[in-house]
Amino acid sequence: MPSIILRKDIQEKLDEVRDADILVGIPSYNNASTIGHVVKAVQAGFAKYFPDKKCVLVNSDGGSTDGTMDVVRNTTLEDGSTILFSHRTNRILTIATPYSGIPGKGSAFRTIFEIADELNAKACAVVDSDLRSITPEWIELLIKPVMENSLDYVAPLYHRHKFDGTITNSIVYPLTRALYGKRVRQPIGGDFGFSGNLARFYLSKDVWESDVAKFGIDIWMTTTAMANDFKVCHAFLGAKIHDPKDPGADLSAMLYQVVGATFDLMETYPDVWSRTHKSVSVPTFGFHYDVGLEPVSVNVERMIDKFRLGVKELIQIWKEFLPGEVIDFLVKAEELPKDKFFMPDEIWVQIVYSFAIASHKKVINKEHLLKSLTPLYIGRTASFVIDAWESSAREVEEKIENLCLAFESRKEFLIENWNSFGESAGGGE
Amino acid sequence: MGNIFNRLITEPIEDFINKVLLFLPNLFSSILILILGILAGWVTKQVLLKLFRILKLDELSERSGINRIISRGGIKSSLATLIARFVGWIITFGFAIIALDNLRLPAIERLFESFFLYLPNVFIALIIIVVGLLLGNFFGRTALIASVNAGLKMSGLIAKAVKFSIFVFALSIALEQLGIGKETVVIAFAIVFGGIIFALALAFGLGGRDIAKEFLEKKLKGEEEKKDEISHL
Repeated sequence: MPSIILRKDIQEKLDEVRDADILVGIPSYNNASTIGHVVKAVQAGFAKYFPDKKCVLVNSDGGSTDGTMDVVRNTTLEDGSTILFSHRTNRILTIATPYSGIPGKGSAFRTIFEIADELNAKACAVVDSDLRSITPEWIELLIKPVMENSLDYVAPLYHRHKFDGTITNSIVYPLTRALYGKRVRQPIGGDFGFSGNLARFYLSKDVWESDVAKFGIDIWMTTTAMANDFKVCHAFLGAKIHDPKDPGADLSAMLYQVVGATFDLMETYPDVWSRTHKSVSVPTFGFHYDVGLEPVSVNVERMIDKFRLGVKELIQIWKEFLPGEVIDFLVKAEELPKDKFFMPDEIWVQIVYSFAIASHKKVINKEHLLKSLTPLYIGRTASFVIDAWESSAREVEEKIENLCLAFESRKEFLIENWNSFGESAGGGE
Repeated sequence: MGNIFNRLITEPIEDFINKVLLFLPNLFSSILILILGILAGWVTKQVLLKLFRILKLDELSERSGINRIISRGGIKSSLATLIARFVGWIITFGFAIIALDNLRLPAIERLFESFFLYLPNVFIALIIIVVGLLLGNFFGRTALIASVNAGLKMSGLIAKAVKFSIFVFALSIALEQLGIGKETVVIAFAIVFGGIIFALALAFGLGGRDIAKEFLEKKLKGEEEKKDEISHL
């Protein structure tokens, strides 16, 4: 892939800027309606919290046709800035450029890393272009732990509805925590802070022609930082509200991308995760406060129906790699009425680990494997919703903590079966 | 009279006996070649099995998933056994051809000629059927998983239909390749598929009338079922 740095117009711009203390990147694709607010929040963050630093805003665009880059170039903080930011001394520099390479968020990030490297930026952050809840404080929270506490990676911590983020809560968080031993609560949050050193480290990795360039950049960044002993922390950002995603977005495609990227990283770092046996919490920055969240509508009956259909039709596929104990449970669970429907943590942990092992051993086509996880995930989500219906946010967090402990305590199952010859973990009849 | 008897009876019998006497050594040597071929095939199979065991081919094929693909195609033997058996048979078959050729019979020679001209077609037809089986399995499973995830109650039926259609399609191409009922196969294929589509259209039309009505009513009146608002990521 040709480096964006080699492009003459960008090189001229970088020669003009020369260096930077702070760089914030915004990847975009047709976000003209929302990116203006994000740019203003970033500029306000620069002005309010880093007035004496040289700050650069980079918009790495995927070829928008709605004038996204023009919005970025034309958005300024001139109105009211004299009142709010009287101490601002340095000019905020903006670079808006299309990225090159495979279309995807990963390629957009690569361009941001390259510019950060070229400008020798000390601290960087990336924020989504469709955020509605971003405030100038986000920039402070994502950048200051790097600038002032010499940390390398700042993962976001958002307040979310108790039923939101179920892929994160039931798979990605417990799994990455058990694997790499760091309690990073939202590893695929989307908004991160990181040091210039870490940006250079990311650039040195040969992943930019792989799926990482298309999707999975979030979990890749978090895991790469954790697995390579970079200093990791959290920043509490409040609620994350963004433009509603495509309502037709296919859940199984989502699972395939996110879980597939997580499993792929297990192939990269088997030595790291197989010798990690306990998890530790990471420092948290920011002031915790409760956020009012809109209630969400959930149709549990429909979820259970989808789970039952999956068990009926896909059990022959699952028998190739799920343990007999899990298969027995699934057959029984298919018969359970809604009020008794429950999938225990231990079963769910074995399911996730068995899928990871089956993916490693290439038991069946990877896309088939990961998409066949969907009915099980829906069943687990239904069980969680029923179980947590009356629970407070704190109680829900305790349930997630228990699940994480189950992942950690059953890790030996994963390690034992990962390198064993022959059939996968299961082969249950 | 004696001359006529000689020409009509004795000479043909002598001729035949001469021919048989000339043919017998060829026959014996052919039988010997065939026995040698069977032995050579068996020995090669055993040697290859031992060699593959030393090279741990079965472990490799298990690890790479080849054994699974084979077993999914309905074959129970391991990759090592399959290769050893195949090579053994090829050797035996080669010897059998030499043995038959050794007989120097014009009829067999003609048969060989047409057989060897036809052989590539058989080989291609076999490949088409194997590929059809594998593709049928693959796309059948793709359809099964996709329709289960879409919540379709008839997922199993859809998957079987996809698998069967691909296999029938492969079979019809293979038969065409073999030149068996060229026109008939295409027509039969078209009739079967047309029939299936027609049957499905009728089934949906008659059986699903109420569902279609309900669906359209919901769509037109905006009474669509409320979607889940959970954000999974």
